[in-house]
Amino acid sequence: MRRGFYTKLAITNIRKNGKTYFPYILASSATVMMFYDMLYLLMSDEVNRMHDSSTLVSVLGLGGIVTGIFAFILLLYINSFLIKRRKKEFGLFNILGMEKKHIARIMLLETVMIGLLCTGLGLIAGVLFSKLALLLLLKILSLNASFGFEIPLRAAAITVVLFGAIFLINLVYNIFQVHVSKPIELLKGSNVGEKEPQTKWLMTLIGVASLGGGYYIAITTESPLAVIGLFFVAVILVIIGTYCLFTAGSIAILKTLRRNKRFYYRTNPFIAVSGMIYRMKQNAAGLASICILSTMVIVMVSSTVSLYAGLEDAVRSNYIREISVFVDSPTYDEIKKVDDAIAETAEKAGLSIHNPISLRYVTEAAIQDGNAFAGIRNAGFSSAGIAMLMFITAEEYHRIEGVRAELSEGEALVHVVKGDIPGDTLDFGGYSLNIRGQVDALETLREFAYHNNNRMLKQRYVVITADEQDLLRVRQALHEGGELHSDFYYNYLFDTKADRNAQLNLASALDSRLDELSIPGYVDGREEAKQSFISVYGVLFFLGLFLGALFILGTVLIIYYKQISEGYDDKERFAIMSKVGLSHGEIKRTIRFQVLSVFYLPLIMAVIHIAAAFPAISRLLALFNMTNIPLYALCTALTILVFAVCYAMIYGLTARTYYRIVR
Amino acid sequence: MALLDVRNLKKVYTTRFGKLPVQALSNVSFTIEEGEFVAIMGESGSGKTTLLNILAALDQPTSGEVLLAGRSLTSIPEKEISAFRRDRLGFVFQDFNLLDTFSLRDNIFLPLVLAGKSYKEMSSRLVPIARTLGISDILDKFPYEVSGGQKQRAAVARALITHPRIILADEPTGALDSRSSDELLNLFGEINRQGQTILMVTHSTKAASHANRVMFIKDGEVFHQIYKASKSQHEFYQNISDTLTVIATGGVRHA
Repeated sequence: MRRGFYTKLAITNIRKNGKTYFPYILASSATVMMFYDMLYLLMSDEVNRMHDSSTLVSVLGLGGIVTGIFAFILLLYINSFLIKRRKKEFGLFNILGMEKKHIARIMLLETVMIGLLCTGLGLIAGVLFSKLALLLLLKILSLNASFGFEIPLRAAAITVVLFGAIFLINLVYNIFQVHVSKPIELLKGSNVGEKEPQTKWLMTLIGVASLGGGYYIAITTESPLAVIGLFFVAVILVIIGTYCLFTAGSIAILKTLRRNKRFYYRTNPFIAVSGMIYRMKQNAAGLASICILSTMVIVMVSSTVSLYAGLEDAVRSNYIREISVFVDSPTYDEIKKVDDAIAETAEKAGLSIHNPISLRYVTEAAIQDGNAFAGIRNAGFSSAGIAMLMFITAEEYHRIEGVRAELSEGEALVHVVKGDIPGDTLDFGGYSLNIRGQVDALETLREFAYHNNNRMLKQRYVVITADEQDLLRVRQALHEGGELHSDFYYNYLFDTKADRNAQLNLASALDSRLDELSIPGYVDGREEAKQSFISVYGVLFFLGLFLGALFILGTVLIIYYKQISEGYDDKERFAIMSKVGLSHGEIKRTIRFQVLSVFYLPLIMAVIHIAAAFPAISRLLALFNMTNIPLYALCTALTILVFAVCYAMIYGLTARTYYRIVR
Repeated sequence: MALLDVRNLKKVYTTRFGKLPVQALSNVSFTIEEGEFVAIMGESGSGKTTLLNILAALDQPTSGEVLLAGRSLTSIPEKEISAFRRDRLGFVFQDFNLLDTFSLRDNIFLPLVLAGKSYKEMSSRLVPIARTLGISDILDKFPYEVSGGQKQRAAVARALITHPRIILADEPTGALDSRSSDELLNLFGEINRQGQTILMVTHSTKAASHANRVMFIKDGEVFHQIYKASKSQHEFYQNISDTLTVIATGGVRHA
């Protein structure tokens, strides 16, 4: 046979299967494009030239790997669906006298054509889109874009190799599929009566229990430190619960619905419920995966978006003043010198100091048990009982608040920021202090004590001791005679009300001044922090958007193909029903009801998951200095909305295609 | 007035790009009275299926008319046609057309559910029908759990449960073994004696011999028809068989 024959046949085949191949080609091209763009960002000179590009490159690298793996899984999945649909066609070729090697040859041609088409289209789109992606990234990182256009050949080469491999694997899989099957099987397909699935009560119970457990952990674990460890457990439980409930719970619910005669024996439920009992057996795992995937997309996008949107807040809550000067173990003489140096440097820069506050303090973490505090050296990493103690002396208390505390050795004043100290003594690993009273935190102390660094801890106290000797005894007792790692800090904070550059310049001028005075310490500022926050949160935000788009594409395609394949399975059912008197209008309505429930079930479940995970995630975000919960709620709601809109569009398309198949 | 009145039916198929129209029915006229059991015989390609599809309102004739209880099928608007089929006609198919996802009971209920009947009414209608057909014990089984004969009896129950004016059966014994076929045909006779009108398309002489009247279709026309009248079933069988031989060897027509 001539070569042209096979080529023509391959082209005809692809065109004939357009309904299923077109989305496949589109999806492959889109993943090629996204993968190339991710590599482009990773390898472009512009990104690598950036100042501190290492975080950026490693996050983007991670994004590239995730994109690659996802593309791999998605295209394999879609291909397995496509080949299942076409087995009959190949069976016919086989029976008409085409040998399997001829079929393989057609498949090879088809794959080469589709592969070239998708990779070509994807790369062209990728190159066109790459500058846009770069601009978006730079905008997010609030950096300036430069002119110019580059096509990193290495990125293109890696893309071609990866997708070449994916298409090759698909080809091998398809040839193997045809090779192992007999022509008669190829022709017959899967039209064998299936047994009705049994209700698995045990599995349902396990599902309910693990989902409940996961939700319980996510909702009730209050300490953010504990959340880190337990969140993972909760996620695993929820995943197990979702799979169990979709496989067993769905059937249990459907069968219960079926037992309710008044509900069941009406057109829509009658057809949908009976069909779904069978459908669930084959599709439960798929629907559960869609649910988990949707949940991940929404969590990922909403949290990265809110981190980025809440960046200003985070910086502000960490930096209560524009500029912060930190000095290590200073004496009061040195403190005087530092204060003078700050005033001098600011004046020289032509800036005035606003709202200055300062504190000389020492902090200790301890395990609290009632009124007893023990060193954390021997404690495990469970944050449950950890208390943060901020110690200042009576002298310092007088300096900052202007109140004289008459304390003698072995006595203390206490301010409770959070938590509770029962009784009127404090016990520090054997050394006790009598509590002379509780004090209110006035201006300065309040700002320092409520400062956000340790806000995730549930026990925080300020302890005022008689003098430094007494404080030293407390600390030595806490450390059980071990070495003391830190000493007093002196922290001076102030605003300048100047612009960004002036602030950055002043900070570096102060830094060199401290060096000149050979005082150990450092200067930090809000603007500087913001820049480093942006470079981390910004790239996470970008990645969140990018992968979010990719995952939505994947989710939607999986559902589309799922529905299409169900359409082919349902074709016969609807043909029978229309013979028995189901009108076209009713068929349309029934399909809408059925597709709608399959479509929105995973989404609704995902939204429930997200609602349950909300408290835990907002506590996790607190670790990233994101405490603006309404903002996070807003981001989550918006993400769900965008996701639902994408979903609705695909639903419309799917329902229409489905109807065309069964009609 | 006849229950079913078929007047000068003509059906011509034209394929989308084909130049040659195919005439499936050229000129078919007959009437069926209430309570009759009529078999239509004919070879493959004689137009049987086309005729049945038109009678079932699944297809439109090119010309001619079908009146069911005085009402013309072609005059029924598209929107009502499904409901009309559901309420007035009962179907029995060669390959049963039972849905695998329903138990036999639910399969039988299907047309009533579509018609929006209450569960109570459906159940009370099912009891006598299931008893007559001998399927009371297997109603909760699924189609894949029962034999072909049982499936077909369930399909008959589904056709009967709407109390249709006429049952249209398309090769009902085509997929059954001879014992199940006999049982089914006896049931058809029984149902017919209770007053149900049945129109059955078949090419089995045995099946046709259970009817009261047999019409023979050839080349899109009613070629001949014979009545059982007072003949025994065996005689009627002989009669049909002879007629078929005559038709096959090209005998004289006298419709």
